[in-house]
Amino acid sequence: MKSYIKLVNFEINRFIKIYLTLLIITLLSQFIGVIVIAKSKMDQAHEVMGEQNLSEQAYLHDYGGFTFAHFASTLWFVGPIALCIIALLFYCLMIWYRDWFGKNTFAYRLLMLPTARISLYFSKASAILLFIIGLLAFQLIILPLENTLFESLIQDNFLQTSMDVSSILQSNVMLGIILPPYFSDFLISYGIGMMFVFVLFTSILFERSFRLKGIVFGILYIIAAVLLYLSPLFILSNETYSVLYSEEIFAIFLVLGILITAASIVIGNWLISKRVLV
Amino acid sequence: MIEVNQLTKKFGRKKVLDGVSFTANKGEITCLIGINGVGKTTTLKAIMGLTPINKGSILIDGETINKNTYEKVAFIPDAITMLPQMTIKQAMQFMQDFYKKWNQERATELLTFFKLDEKTRISELSKGNTAKINLLMGLAIDVDYILMDEPFSGIDIFSREQITEVFTSHLIEDRGVIITTHEINDIEHLIDKVILLDNGIVLKEFNTEQMRQEEGKSVVDVMREVYIG
Repeated sequence: MKSYIKLVNFEINRFIKIYLTLLIITLLSQFIGVIVIAKSKMDQAHEVMGEQNLSEQAYLHDYGGFTFAHFASTLWFVGPIALCIIALLFYCLMIWYRDWFGKNTFAYRLLMLPTARISLYFSKASAILLFIIGLLAFQLIILPLENTLFESLIQDNFLQTSMDVSSILQSNVMLGIILPPYFSDFLISYGIGMMFVFVLFTSILFERSFRLKGIVFGILYIIAAVLLYLSPLFILSNETYSVLYSEEIFAIFLVLGILITAASIVIGNWLISKRVLV
Repeated sequence: MIEVNQLTKKFGRKKVLDGVSFTANKGEITCLIGINGVGKTTTLKAIMGLTPINKGSILIDGETINKNTYEKVAFIPDAITMLPQMTIKQAMQFMQDFYKKWNQERATELLTFFKLDEKTRISELSKGNTAKINLLMGLAIDVDYILMDEPFSGIDIFSREQITEVFTSHLIEDRGVIITTHEINDIEHLIDKVILLDNGIVLKEFNTEQMRQEEGKSVVDVMREVYIG
């Protein structure tokens, strides 16, 4: 357990600079974006009012006011979130391959540590989970600040509604996915996400163990896991599906998710303990 | 004792090791010799569980390799196994964090002996200093056995002398060493046992002292006999 915690700490330290850079990019992009968008919305409004000789009331009647949702759908806001998602997806691969490639073979050192090798597997998965949770928490912390800034930059009359965090989350599709409004939805989304991470890790270990053949095994493993997880959609007819309670459908996917995650961990453990090559 | 029994290893269809058996005892230096590609490094990796084997068994004091045996055997490969951005000090800290048997006093002693600065980054080390740091990382763990893969490969004569000096010091005594090297002349006088490998099999195994006394042959003489004929 102690080694596992040390390994998690070690993995976090190795990525922390890139991670902090991502947080800073998110912070800067979203705060600058708030200022730019709020200013441009106000400028546009004044321009339209000038061109069409509209009063504030007439403008608001014709075009409506502004909400934070107007900003949340722009590239300034969505861009850094997408960048973080892409970086973390890339990191899921890099977290393994960086130890094998290059002239410094750190994989030797990691695999020779006096600890169960599955700790390496879990420490890498845990580091990714912590990074994801950290990003979400960071976004949740800065969101109300951005909202306050946005509202302070928009003239009171032009502010359509003052939004709280919950209504901001529901107003944006992307935000709704990455920060689901209900805890149960959060557990489902991130449970599926972590299952995908375990499946990916095991397929990477297939490649690291069997090299060329391993690429095929790895791809087949991912396809098999996805098909198994989605199998109820293919197997159950629409009629059967429609008579099932949502709790029953949830239970089926939950069991399948647990099975796939457990299988990935068991196979991953076997690969990293017995088959992996340096 | 490290016991390698009928070790067989294939890469694809090619058999790199074909029933290799030998033992290495504590307090002895065992040298695996052979031309490039005969399976010396693969044998060391197999002992450390860094490559799966197809047949045979490897026992370390009667145990197959497991997390506890990594506190008994240290492997010193010919590539640096620490992160390039780490300083030597950070690399030693990493080892101390994970190995119960890490001996900081010994690490500092080796650092002084090799005249290395702990603030130096791993990426800044020359080939010779890389070999020294590899040696330090292995020897500073209080293990019973040390496996060294080509410790003299591509390094200058002074570094080589320093490393050879380590072999005659208290840092090695009582430990079992398995070494692979092409630079046999540097350590011939220190080796207790030689295992000559070729085409994945053990061609000859002999005690160097016995060979010297009974047949008057050096290791190089035997190598010439076996490989050249």
